Amino acid sequence: MRIEIRDLRHTYPTGEEALKGVSFTIEGVTPVAVVGQNGSGKTTLVKHFNRILSPTSGAVLIDGVETTKQSTAKWSKRVGYVFQNPDDQLFLNSVRKEFEFGPERVGVPAADIQKRLPEIAELCGLGDKLDSHTFDLTATQKKFCAIGSVMMMDPDVIIFDEPTCGQDVEGSRRLSEIIGHLEKRGKLCVTISHDMKFVAANFPRVVALCHGRVLIDGDSREVFAKPELLKKSFVSPPPISRVSLGMGFEKPAFSVDELVETMKARRRKMA
Amino acid sequence: MSKQNKIKTKKTSSYIPLDSPIDRMHPMVKIYGVLCLGIGCAAFPFLWLSYAVVAFLFCVAWRAKLLGRFSKFIIAFAVPITCMLLIIQGLYSPKNVTVLADFGFARLGLEGVVYAFKTVGTLLVFLGGFYLMTTTTYPGKLVTAMQDAGLNSKAGYLVLASLNVVPQIQRRIAVIQEAQTARGVEVEGTMSTRFKAFLPIIGPTVMSSLVDVQERGMTLETRGFGVKDVRPTSFVALYLTPGEKAAKKVLVAFLIVCVLFAVFWALRPVLGLGV
Repeated sequence: MRIEIRDLRHTYPTGEEALKGVSFTIEGVTPVAVVGQNGSGKTTLVKHFNRILSPTSGAVLIDGVETTKQSTAKWSKRVGYVFQNPDDQLFLNSVRKEFEFGPERVGVPAADIQKRLPEIAELCGLGDKLDSHTFDLTATQKKFCAIGSVMMMDPDVIIFDEPTCGQDVEGSRRLSEIIGHLEKRGKLCVTISHDMKFVAANFPRVVALCHGRVLIDGDSREVFAKPELLKKSFVSPPPISRVSLGMGFEKPAFSVDELVETMKARRRKMA
Repeated sequence: MSKQNKIKTKKTSSYIPLDSPIDRMHPMVKIYGVLCLGIGCAAFPFLWLSYAVVAFLFCVAWRAKLLGRFSKFIIAFAVPITCMLLIIQGLYSPKNVTVLADFGFARLGLEGVVYAFKTVGTLLVFLGGFYLMTTTTYPGKLVTAMQDAGLNSKAGYLVLASLNVVPQIQRRIAVIQEAQTARGVEVEGTMSTRFKAFLPIIGPTVMSSLVDVQERGMTLETRGFGVKDVRPTSFVALYLTPGEKAAKKVLVAFLIVCVLFAVFWALRPVLGLGV
């Protein structure tokens, strides 16, 4: 899987220039997080990946094919997009029907749909909710229903727009599991998030946007090691990373255990 | 540029914020203007008055910095409707006695032509007046003025809400459309493709609108909308200047004169003044 973004610019009809020349390439299946303050162009950028938006200038190429070559509905076979608000996507009267809807649209054989269904339902924690009405689900379950219904289409890339928004600890854990599962199955996952703890824990690559341009792009440890630069886009590394940086560590720690381990190692060295 | 983006740019109302004396004017004066000038012209038996008022409206539009748009609006409406009425009334009005031209298949009658011009003139006064009123009046100000004049605050809210809800739903539909195309629903193409996209789009729209209504209701309650026996104040304060008070009187006087003259004109035969 290769997504190539070439000097992408996008101006909304209101005259607002949301992207002012963004270029980078995503290759392979390593999960990528897109971060940045509100209005930095995150959503505008990822909406180009399946041609919900078309570039004002520049191009986005999926495995060498310009996204403008076909419609969003056609791209949905390869590029899945989970919207921030599940209420925008769900409309059928059961979780099962929601799960079947997308793959049916893109022509997946019924047998394949039935094969995928239990596994994805289990992954989304909706195994026992398949015949519930979508309106009877809790907000968290709805979100996973929307995620599951896109995963059911088995695209090569899945884009998540703010998946942790409104999620509890259990929901975040489940999301991590899903992201891991996707990577294992050779699927690329691109996620917009404001939750830096979640980003640090799940995404080896981070792209930070600021005012429609790429501020910094690289390995998450390297990105979070530059809090001063990230400040420009009002992004601050997870608290534990800031503590470790404050203590003079070269690389930011992403968990308490990591910090403790590094501390211990340091002490041993000193002793 | 996709279709969805275009919808997002739609405005909340037809109001065009431009700093002008007409924009600053008390909305009630404008309402009086539309009604008094419109009804006055409709009642007045001669057609010249309507066109004089239309000319006056052009001056108002110029003061409001809207001359270009106003002219376009008036011409776009006046030309087709005049042609249509001229054909219908001019050629086929049963009142036609005086023949202006004979086309063989039909005759152009003076009475019908006069009637057509009179109708167009009156319509132009009403439409032009409304156009100027809505383009120069901020909706919040209009509703406050109506409430000051005694309109129930709930009815006032209804006016404002309906102005706000439509673009809000349009924006929602745009988002839902994007969400459904991302699930493989084709929304553009042949009639049958579009028809298939109807349910996935209308379903979430209706449901979210219902939820929205519930939330709006709760918000209004928590903000004291249901409090009884209290006259709510408004964030938008409006005062009539002495000039505006005078303008209102002039407008009412115009209406009275027009109506009185119309009555007098209609009663001429009865009064024995000769026809």
